[in-house]
Amino acid sequence: MDLKVHYRCRLLLPELSKQTLRIMKLIAVILFAACIQVSARGYSQITLSENNAPLQKVFKEIQKQSGYDFVSTSEALKEAGTVTIKVRNVSLQKALEECLKGKPLTYVIIGKTVVVQAKEENYYNTSNNLVALETLPPPPIEIHGRVVNQQGEPLQNVSVLIAGTKIGTTTNADGRFSLTAPDDKNIVLEVSSVGYQAKEVNVGKQTEVNIILETDVAGLNEVVVTALGVQRSAKSLVYANQMVKGSELTEVKNDNLMNSLNGKLAGVTISPSASGVGGSAKVILRGSKNAFGSNQPLYVIDGVPISNSSNANGQPNSVWTTGGQVDGGDGISNLNPEDIESINVLQGAAGAALYGSQAANGVILITTKKGKIGTAKINFSSSYTNQAIAYEPKFQNKYGVIPNGIQSWGALLTTPAKEDNLSDFYQHGQNTTTAVSFSSGSRLAQTYFSYANTTANGVEPANKLVRNNFTFREIGHFLNDKLTVDVNTNYVQQNLDNTPALGFFLNPLTGLYLFPVGTDITEYKNQYAVPVPERNGLLTQNWITSEVHQQNPWWILHKIPNYSTRNRLIINASMKYDFTSWLYLQVRGNIDRVSDIFQRDLYSGTNPVNVQGTNGAFTRSDLTRTQKYGDVIASLKIPFKSSFKLDGLLGVSNTDVTTDGTSMGQGLGLIIPNIFIAQNVATSVTSNVSNSSTHSQIQSAFGSLNLSYNDWLFLNITGRNDWSSNLAFTSNISYFYPSTGLSIILNQVLKLPKFITFAKARGSYAEVATSVPQYITNPLNSLSEGGGVNFNLVEPNPQLKPTNTKSIEAGIDLRFFDDRASLNFTWYKSNTYNQFIQYTPAASTGYSVGYLNAGNIQNTGVELLFTYDVVKSKLLRWNTSINYSNNKNVIIELNPGAPHGTIILTGSAGNAYQSALEKGGSWADIYGIKFSRSKSGQIILNNNNQPINNNKFVKLGNPNPRWQMGWNNTLNYKNFTLSFLIDGKFGGHVMSMTQMLMDSYGTSKASADARDNGGLEVNAVDPNGTAVSTIDAFNWYSSVGGRSGIGEAYMYSATVVKLRQLILGYNFPIVNNFIKSIRLSLIGSNLLYFSKNAPYDPEITMSTGNGMTGVDAFNLPATRNVGAQLNISF
Amino acid sequence: MKKITFILNKLTGFNISLNFILFIVLFMLFFGCTKKFESFNTNPTGITAQQLKYDFNNIGLYYIGIQKGIYGSPSQYQVRQNLNADNYCGYYQSNNPFRGNLNNQNYLMVDGWNGSIYGAYSEIMGPIRKISSLDTRTEAPDFWAIAMILQVQAMSRVTDCFGPIPYSKVGLSNTTPYDSQKDVYNLFFAQLDTAVSNLQAYIAAFPVAKPFAKFDMVYKGNYAQWLKYANSLRLRLAMRIVNIDPETAKIQALLAINNPGGLIEANKDNAAISGFGFVNPIWHIGTLFGDINCEASLTTFLNGYNDPRLPKYCGPAGEIVPAPPSITGKYVGIRVGTPVGALPMYRGYTQPNYEVQQQFSPTIIMNAAEVWFLRAEAALRGWTAENIQDDYETGINTSMAQWGVSAGDYLDDNTSTQANYVDPLTPTAGVPNASINAVSTITIKWNPAATNERKLERIITQKWIAMWPTGGSEAWAEYRRTGYPRLFPVVVNNSGGTISTDLHIRRIPYPSSEYTNNPTEIATAVSSLGGPDNGATPVWWDTNKGSANPVNF
Repeated sequence: MDLKVHYRCRLLLPELSKQTLRIMKLIAVILFAACIQVSARGYSQITLSENNAPLQKVFKEIQKQSGYDFVSTSEALKEAGTVTIKVRNVSLQKALEECLKGKPLTYVIIGKTVVVQAKEENYYNTSNNLVALETLPPPPIEIHGRVVNQQGEPLQNVSVLIAGTKIGTTTNADGRFSLTAPDDKNIVLEVSSVGYQAKEVNVGKQTEVNIILETDVAGLNEVVVTALGVQRSAKSLVYANQMVKGSELTEVKNDNLMNSLNGKLAGVTISPSASGVGGSAKVILRGSKNAFGSNQPLYVIDGVPISNSSNANGQPNSVWTTGGQVDGGDGISNLNPEDIESINVLQGAAGAALYGSQAANGVILITTKKGKIGTAKINFSSSYTNQAIAYEPKFQNKYGVIPNGIQSWGALLTTPAKEDNLSDFYQHGQNTTTAVSFSSGSRLAQTYFSYANTTANGVEPANKLVRNNFTFREIGHFLNDKLTVDVNTNYVQQNLDNTPALGFFLNPLTGLYLFPVGTDITEYKNQYAVPVPERNGLLTQNWITSEVHQQNPWWILHKIPNYSTRNRLIINASMKYDFTSWLYLQVRGNIDRVSDIFQRDLYSGTNPVNVQGTNGAFTRSDLTRTQKYGDVIASLKIPFKSSFKLDGLLGVSNTDVTTDGTSMGQGLGLIIPNIFIAQNVATSVTSNVSNSSTHSQIQSAFGSLNLSYNDWLFLNITGRNDWSSNLAFTSNISYFYPSTGLSIILNQVLKLPKFITFAKARGSYAEVATSVPQYITNPLNSLSEGGGVNFNLVEPNPQLKPTNTKSIEAGIDLRFFDDRASLNFTWYKSNTYNQFIQYTPAASTGYSVGYLNAGNIQNTGVELLFTYDVVKSKLLRWNTSINYSNNKNVIIELNPGAPHGTIILTGSAGNAYQSALEKGGSWADIYGIKFSRSKSGQIILNNNNQPINNNKFVKLGNPNPRWQMGWNNTLNYKNFTLSFLIDGKFGGHVMSMTQMLMDSYGTSKASADARDNGGLEVNAVDPNGTAVSTIDAFNWYSSVGGRSGIGEAYMYSATVVKLRQLILGYNFPIVNNFIKSIRLSLIGSNLLYFSKNAPYDPEITMSTGNGMTGVDAFNLPATRNVGAQLNISF
Repeated sequence: MKKITFILNKLTGFNISLNFILFIVLFMLFFGCTKKFESFNTNPTGITAQQLKYDFNNIGLYYIGIQKGIYGSPSQYQVRQNLNADNYCGYYQSNNPFRGNLNNQNYLMVDGWNGSIYGAYSEIMGPIRKISSLDTRTEAPDFWAIAMILQVQAMSRVTDCFGPIPYSKVGLSNTTPYDSQKDVYNLFFAQLDTAVSNLQAYIAAFPVAKPFAKFDMVYKGNYAQWLKYANSLRLRLAMRIVNIDPETAKIQALLAINNPGGLIEANKDNAAISGFGFVNPIWHIGTLFGDINCEASLTTFLNGYNDPRLPKYCGPAGEIVPAPPSITGKYVGIRVGTPVGALPMYRGYTQPNYEVQQQFSPTIIMNAAEVWFLRAEAALRGWTAENIQDDYETGINTSMAQWGVSAGDYLDDNTSTQANYVDPLTPTAGVPNASINAVSTITIKWNPAATNERKLERIITQKWIAMWPTGGSEAWAEYRRTGYPRLFPVVVNNSGGTISTDLHIRRIPYPSSEYTNNPTEIATAVSSLGGPDNGATPVWWDTNKGSANPVNF
């Protein structure tokens, strides 16, 4: 109850004569006044000459001359009649006294606001009554009221509840309601209605309350959270900003909350990891910008950055995944979506510039829930979803296995085999999320507590996630409300078992998909392990082949388990002290401590390519990451005596990140079979334990200045200077970057057609600099396992400097038809210069690695957001919104003047897929082998009728979508809500190595179709120049398929359009005083593909890092989810 | 400050005083310092020069990486040697249809594989540059001698693949000029001069000192053995250039043979890498990757000769993975360039004997048998008065001893020749017949009456057998120089007509990274090749060029 109310009152002034604003605001302001130190001195000299003018007009004149705002209840003013006044060069106080002489009104000056109020005797008739009140129990008090919208139209069916009680009602057709409160103490009404912003109204001692609800579309007065947690009015923003309410995250529960945002936002590309439950999400805002280093946004909770680190085992970056790196989930997925009030996405650098460094990739601002005054509320929600794989690879069932082999290139089977073996393996996944939260509070202290449990089983058996979230938040107000203390603690405990490995090793899908057609797999399922008599019954793997790519799928599930555990504690504390109405100081601190352990056991009997020795082995790593953040911010609002308003902030911050970990390799395997403890590891001269530890710190000073003119022109300037420890040993430790932007509220200065209710044009320019990784500027020798020294062959580059992203954006925000429709359009261009580039010098130079700054990666695009209340009747409401965005990424320059032109993101390592950056290309282009073709485009064959390839990695395509679009709809009919989201990503190409291998093993449907047709139709030419139109299926697939096959033949369009989400909800009519609301929803996600050309869902990714984009190497398929959710609040 | 307060007061009508100043003070207090940044940005697990000073670790530990770098890690060995030289010399053929059966093994040259051996520049020459910058040349001439031997050993493998290579000017700039192969060889000899003289002087001064022992993965610090190795290496390189530059060859060979330090004569002096976790690459690739089988030339020679070393070298077909019944239990390799089909079609064919090639078995760089055969050739050329037959037979006996078998009447066998090769899996549809009759008629027993050419064939054939299993690089170079032993041609040739099946592959094309990163210099190098940069162009010392009737005298 402080500044926010103050501003809202001021903005409502023009409507004073029409609407009654009751004492509630007044009380708030009086409370506020009590803690104000600085009072007006009344320097103003006021001259007035009015004859029978309405009081309001006189106040406006005084406001103009003095710069003081006026707040009042309109009823009091209405009753006050007109005023005749003639004064010259008098003080404000004198002028006011003259105005109110003889009226039933008085005033108080609070800061720069004059509060006009009825004289107290209107409310307390005699002092005798007051005495009586103290001795007698308070009488029940009847409260009458009316709820209207901003246009003054009455609102029906609005829920009105006395906070902290079960006493509530709804409004009638005229918007009227009446309630009986047990006493008149501390009455706060909670007023809510779908489509409108919920409101808390402090009734005080009034009995007549008039309430205005504001529509829930991002209204003009909407306050948005910006960088550093600072709240600003939406209309003053100079950059694009998108807000998502917490309910969007909780309607359909996902084990990673970022996946719930997929398709709903413009300029945001979200790729879920293909690694089952608990997987990470790759979030890219406005295209990837960095050749090295993260391209993901910064996550900020309540103004303070948190870490989004992945598990101790990292992300895969090879289709081999020899080490079996599996995705252990990212930081953002750890949070409980029920705790989130709203998420603001700042896609561009301008909005994020104040955060520095990682903010170059955009910022996702999370505002969490807090306790509310006067209410004790318990929310309970439980959701259950069932998951099944959303599509299946296409298998053949006609041709059997070759003699002595495992490839299904054998003879035609007499009876067709079973369709495929998928149902023997995949199961239905389940996700059960139960959350409970409690919120309550008095005016002095508010409490929020929540607990959530997520238990999920993947479609791959044994893949299981259990997560428990505890949140406790307490806000207290001290020292006459001048000091606000806010402490928020989160504890997350997560166990993730058997995350599927992707790629060729330790992945059950290779064995499953390549299994010989016509052979019965159930034998291997039922008996995946068999005893070895000469080892006294020790189990070994039962599988058809010892090939390194594949093992018994069930052996992998049960005998090569992996465990990721995470314990995370986030403590946020902030203290804010209001010195005056125009200056506050805020001190905040945050500790985010993440402890991860990852272990994988490999039982004796595992394929020797994965394990040393014959007794099994295991690997284990632990990593603790501690991020400490602190800042001090002073915020000023300088009260100019003119049409100009100026506010700003100055601050300093310190971000300190340390990691500490130990990882243990396999050594020579185990001494005694299958005992997976460190004491049992056989070591040779090579030890198998290594330590890692990192430390980096960024100190910053920053400032922001906002200048506005008559509330229609806004100028914003920010600047930030960072001092990065990662740049120690160079002369570039300190670096500065600015941003500036301008927004104009066009409808206030131009005559626009009437249907345009709001129009804003905005533009901004921002720079953000990002430091280099730690230890690069100070290369040291390192100790290899077993005591060898890995000598550093890097020459220190004392010229290293931060990467610099320069971006401009321009946009327009429009609202039409009384805010029923809105359109937001943004164009942006960002260039990232001085890329931090690691290069491998020409082998012959003798250096093995070097680092430099160079290059220019450009992203340009547009974002469009359109919302429309198509139907807005009392019975039926239909809101629709469409978002569109495109992004064009061009690598303008990589390393001018130097010969090292290509940056490999993922090396081919002998396989068909490679991902790289090259000048003129775009980020993460896929490289592979192409057919050799004649001049007329015919594929050239060799003497054996096999296609010849060009034997060089050339660009085959780019996996990033060129544009994406989402269409979101919500329909409300009586108590029913239906919402659905259709979205698509268009353009781009991806590679399927799964198909490559299935083809070469002859298990794919394509390989059988070709055999059925007597070969493949090709446009080829043999070495003699004779045209060849048909080629033998085996000849073709054995040379085109396989893990190092001809990638050109396996590129697919990445376009995918899907029915992403469908929700049917029902709000039960409130049944009694105990339960406030019950809502039951049927939910479904990823229900239907309208278009999908690739043999897998190209949206899912093998890695959420920079590598492995747009490739499928035995990825777990995407899932189709259906379920139900129950929400009850008490 | 007062002025600001005054102006603000004037502007706002508010009294800004203490509060503002308090804020400024807090601001300044919070503002940290960057003094500790250098310590923050120093990796605590990094090793500083100070920490390495003791025990000469700052120099000595470089040698671990250098010694390991000669063959590299098992995966590096696979693409640096096993899928080219080892294949082209008839030692190995993989059962794995890499890249859809279009790869080095059938002459479709894979850039990523061929470029791998260029890693020697960062793994060998880079560290040696560092060693040099630490004044090792003058301060520790014995260590410098070892560095020179290792560099010559490692880089001779590189030049023999490609021809001209960057050598004398490595590391001096971002673009590195190439040296002609002749210049490279001359530099090798000069560097061996340095090595040999430094070691001789050191041994004379400190006969029992072993300062290098701690870092020595070859001889445990025994400089006398290093000296023998240096001399033997010189003899090997001298013989390589005998056809192109006989004068230098003879001078260098005699320098080596006559050096008082002597040559490697007994197996105890064999140069082999072990320790510091170095894994035998044959074991690793064979057992963990499952990618190795023996080549048909190796098995047909050993079968035809009833060679006692055969069961030590190889395991019978079908021993590890099932093989076609007709060859199960026999020693049958895969012929070079066989379209091996989808896995595990050929995996059951003969593989190396992993009872012998174990995980940490020392990996031989040069053995005594090879040196005896080099001495036999030197005698054959009339450079020495040694008895050619004695050298030849000592070579065979030394090799037998190395494998723990006895020669028996092997040396007296004057009838056995290479066996014919039968591959039961070919021909199949679309795949040509890999079965082939023996291409060699050379027998074992020394025949003093034979022509010099025939004598040389006998010496080189036995040397070829004796250099197995990791001598493929040397064996392929000697095959190209002399034309011996007679080897099977590739079954399938996917070079698109570039490389002649009959003449066999003559060299490895340069890696494309050099074209991208070092374009001007590589262009000069290619123009000096005397032919296009492909597998058909012979290197400088390759005068026989694959001729069916090699001329070595």
